[in-house]
Amino acid sequence: MSLRGKAAVKSPWILHVNCGSCNGCDIEILAALTPRFDVERFGMLHMGNPKHADVLLVTGPANRRNAKVLKNLYEQTPEPKVVVAVGTCASTGGVFYNCPNVLGGIDEVIPVDVYIPGCAARPEAIIDGVILALKKLAKGAE
Amino acid sequence: MTEYFTSSLIILPLFLALISAFSYNRTLRYVLAYLTLTSLTVMSILTFIRAQGVIITLDYPSQVGLIITTLDMLLLLYFLYVGIKKRHVLVVILAFLQVIPLIHLETVIHEVRASPTFLIDPLSATMCLIICIIGSLIVVYSLSYMEEHEKHLHLKKTRQPRFLFFMILFLAAMNGVVISNNLYWLYFFWEVTTFCCYQLIRHDLTEQSEKNALLALWVGLIGGVAFIGSMYLGVYYVYSLSIAEILRAKASVYIPLTLALLSLAAFTKSAQIPFQSWLLGAMIAPTPVSALLHSSTMVKAGVYLILRMTPAMSNFPALSYCIAAVGGLSFLSASVLAINQRESKKVLAYSTISNLGLIILCAGINTPLALMAAMFLLIFHAISKGLLFLGAGVIENRVLTRNIEHWEGMLGKYPLSAMVMLLGMVMMYLPPFGMLIGKWLTIESASSLKAISIPLVLILSIGGATTTFFWSKWMGCMLTHPPALFELKPEKIPFSYKLSMLTMVGIDVALSIFAGLVAAIIDLALKVLRGEAPVPYSLLGIFTDMGSFLTIPLILSFLVAIVLALVIARLRGGSMAPPYLCGENVSRDPYSFISTVDKPVKFDVSNLYFDRSLGSPSVNKTLTLIGMILLAFMFSLVVI
Amino acid sequence: MFERIILSLIFLTTSPILGGILRGMDRKLTARFQNRIGPPIIQPFYDVIKLWSKKPIISSNLQPVFAGLYSLLSLIALALVIFGQDLLMAVFTLSSADVSMILGSYSIRSPYSYVGARRELIQVLTSEPLLVLTSVGFYFATGSFGVSEILGLGKPLILSLPGFFIAFLMALPIEARKSPFDISASHHAHQEIVRGVFTEFSGYSLALIEIGHWIKLILFLSILGLFFPNNLLFGAVIAFLSYFLTIMVDNIFPRLTWSAMLKGVWTISLILISLNLISLFGGVLG
Repeated sequence: MSLRGKAAVKSPWILHVNCGSCNGCDIEILAALTPRFDVERFGMLHMGNPKHADVLLVTGPANRRNAKVLKNLYEQTPEPKVVVAVGTCASTGGVFYNCPNVLGGIDEVIPVDVYIPGCAARPEAIIDGVILALKKLAKGAE
Repeated sequence: MTEYFTSSLIILPLFLALISAFSYNRTLRYVLAYLTLTSLTVMSILTFIRAQGVIITLDYPSQVGLIITTLDMLLLLYFLYVGIKKRHVLVVILAFLQVIPLIHLETVIHEVRASPTFLIDPLSATMCLIICIIGSLIVVYSLSYMEEHEKHLHLKKTRQPRFLFFMILFLAAMNGVVISNNLYWLYFFWEVTTFCCYQLIRHDLTEQSEKNALLALWVGLIGGVAFIGSMYLGVYYVYSLSIAEILRAKASVYIPLTLALLSLAAFTKSAQIPFQSWLLGAMIAPTPVSALLHSSTMVKAGVYLILRMTPAMSNFPALSYCIAAVGGLSFLSASVLAINQRESKKVLAYSTISNLGLIILCAGINTPLALMAAMFLLIFHAISKGLLFLGAGVIENRVLTRNIEHWEGMLGKYPLSAMVMLLGMVMMYLPPFGMLIGKWLTIESASSLKAISIPLVLILSIGGATTTFFWSKWMGCMLTHPPALFELKPEKIPFSYKLSMLTMVGIDVALSIFAGLVAAIIDLALKVLRGEAPVPYSLLGIFTDMGSFLTIPLILSFLVAIVLALVIARLRGGSMAPPYLCGENVSRDPYSFISTVDKPVKFDVSNLYFDRSLGSPSVNKTLTLIGMILLAFMFSLVVI
Repeated sequence: MFERIILSLIFLTTSPILGGILRGMDRKLTARFQNRIGPPIIQPFYDVIKLWSKKPIISSNLQPVFAGLYSLLSLIALALVIFGQDLLMAVFTLSSADVSMILGSYSIRSPYSYVGARRELIQVLTSEPLLVLTSVGFYFATGSFGVSEILGLGKPLILSLPGFFIAFLMALPIEARKSPFDISASHHAHQEIVRGVFTEFSGYSLALIEIGHWIKLILFLSILGLFFPNNLLFGAVIAFLSYFLTIMVDNIFPRLTWSAMLKGVWTISLILISLNLISLFGGVLG
């Protein structure tokens, strides 16, 4: 792996976007960021700003209101980037599938690289999913 | 023969001014302004070169003095008339307080020595350079400015001849102030500058400008009364009206009183605390007036007078430190209050008061290094502040507002003028430019005074930080712009604007690069003033026994840094992205975001002004009170 | 003389790397305080390389120029100190580096960036007098503003300048953006103003700013070490311990509001400095 690829894998910065989820997956993501699971040992830092992010962690289904927001944030994130859909709602729409205003999973709006199923997804699964995404990130960096 | 040539520094602009009073033809005005520029520049440079190492003196017979006396009386009678017509009690009283003693003084004045009439040493020659070059550049600028100004006011008949008359007359009077050695002549020229100031502030004839002009008039007249007091002391205790002789007189109890009175006059002219309000009110005048009188030249007359007195001040350290205290108080308080100002010219006015206070502080410290610092600050402030006022005038004529919050993104709209202003602001407080070198010299010289240094360095460090604050704040505001609306369109501005502003930028940059050379020239001026050798100089920088400022290496490394930063930015580039607004950017409107009900809402960005602590009017009143107490203390010191 | 120049040059060129390692140690220590493992010590280098290789996105043409100026001007300031030049000149160069970053984040019309720039101005307002006064303090104790002269004198300056030392220690968390003075970038509380000054910087601009931080950190620690010119190794240890203290304080204390920071730091440090100066001239201290 080249230096750029290695650096991309060793320093993935995360942006956490809530697209209308029930907050269950959000709580699990926050739990993953706590000292108990210590994702900072992988170099992961939670950034509140898409311009600083490499990994977009999205929860909740895509709906007509936040489709624009999601697209906007996706475009403001510089390449190389990966999108990780956390939870069943983000993957397919979950319990909200086919509800009024719900477009489905977030892959209706932006391209997704890794799907993490679960309602809510467990922190261990989230970390696993992000690490899986990192391999794609490394390829994108080279 | 060459000696008489130097009096043309006064006579030539006087002559040009008289013609300007009738210059209703636009071409004639342009010719006169450019003639002023060329002739005064040449004359002042020649005088400067001639004055290196040699003192030029010129003596006029007493018959010429009679002309001066007559003109002076006429001027004072005019002031009386103004006071009566506008029903302003203070003006009337202060004019009377000058007329009556002067009539008495006339009876004894011919018994008194007063030669030479004019004395040009390197200090005067440097002041002449500043007055003539910067002053005439501003006169050239005012050609286009006043045309635009009168267009905005929809004036039917142009009043530019009157304007030009007073501007060029003022240059003549300022030259007179700095080359006069006869105290009475200096006092006369001083009053002429007050007169020009009054006429120029009220040029637009609005109610507010009349009020502010009267304020400037009576504060200036206080200085006139102080001059009369010092003339009395000179006549009765030194038997001389020659400034050189008065300053060299044996240290008797009346000399510090004379010095205190002259410093009082200087404080009124330089708008130090407690006399600061007239300068703030004077900002209502057209911008060339603010540039010429209230930043580059007239207010420098006050600091020039104090610098002239420094050899005598070294015999009276208590008085010196009082003068330094007034300067320090003005420096700190004006610098802090500038943070609170939203009007562009008010910020510049407070900054002027602050820098003048700094110069007076250095003069009060009165070590050779401090005087070097004072001269540096004087020269570079005249250029940079004049430049800032010119740029502010250009932008103000285009956006029709002085509120700096509405000057957001000027760099995109008026690139050249905004760039000039930004450069001017950078040159006011950032390395490697001359003002910063002056500040560096000030701090180093203020540290050398043992225990007195403690309050001085505290004032200097806090004042320096607040200066950085308000300049950076304003610069940032002018730079703020939404992305992709930033295409530098070429800006069309009249030639006289370009000539004046870009020449001043060039002079400032050149002098900063060759600061070592400037230090050498100042060294010579100070030698003549004190007979000492202050600072060893080299072209590479300024070296004192306390520290060294490497000007050329610093400038080179800054240049390399800027070029490198530009190259990296160019090479890597980047695609434009909208700012982060939580994903709610509006696609074609960078000033809004999408809010509730999917409606776009405009958002504002604004700066810090500390209104709660600095905005109340009691702040100014308290300051004036503190200033008056300080002055009272200073006078009680000299009298007791 | 020649070897001195070579040594200084080596120190100058390795200072960003040293600064990066210090920042890595900072994150590791913070992690240990919070009972977790934390990133490897060379993590900041991974961060900077990753940032540099991102596809550039800018919000204003001037923004990357100001970011580059920030790190380059900090390097000039550090070079001035390392090559023994005038300390006051270095302080003014440092403040011009700060101003260039402030202007960089002002140059984008974004609310978070603007608020961050305002707060950064307050930080500069708070710390600049402390830096200027420290240089003056060195002059009072040694008779010179030049770093090589101060070093040459070899007096343990901490004995004559304890107040200045403590005041300068208060400037360190302001510069390093650590609580209680983490107000302009809200380093730890991202949601207050997102990332404040740094919100709109990304990619190579952010990498340049990060490198600038490292250089500034080394500069501040060098000035701290300058308080011990008789034994520079001891000085380096004290500097490192001060940084450790800053990290510890960062983990214990909450953030202050900017007005509390301004009033608090100015009051305490100006009182300490005045007392120090008075005792210097009263002959109480060396």
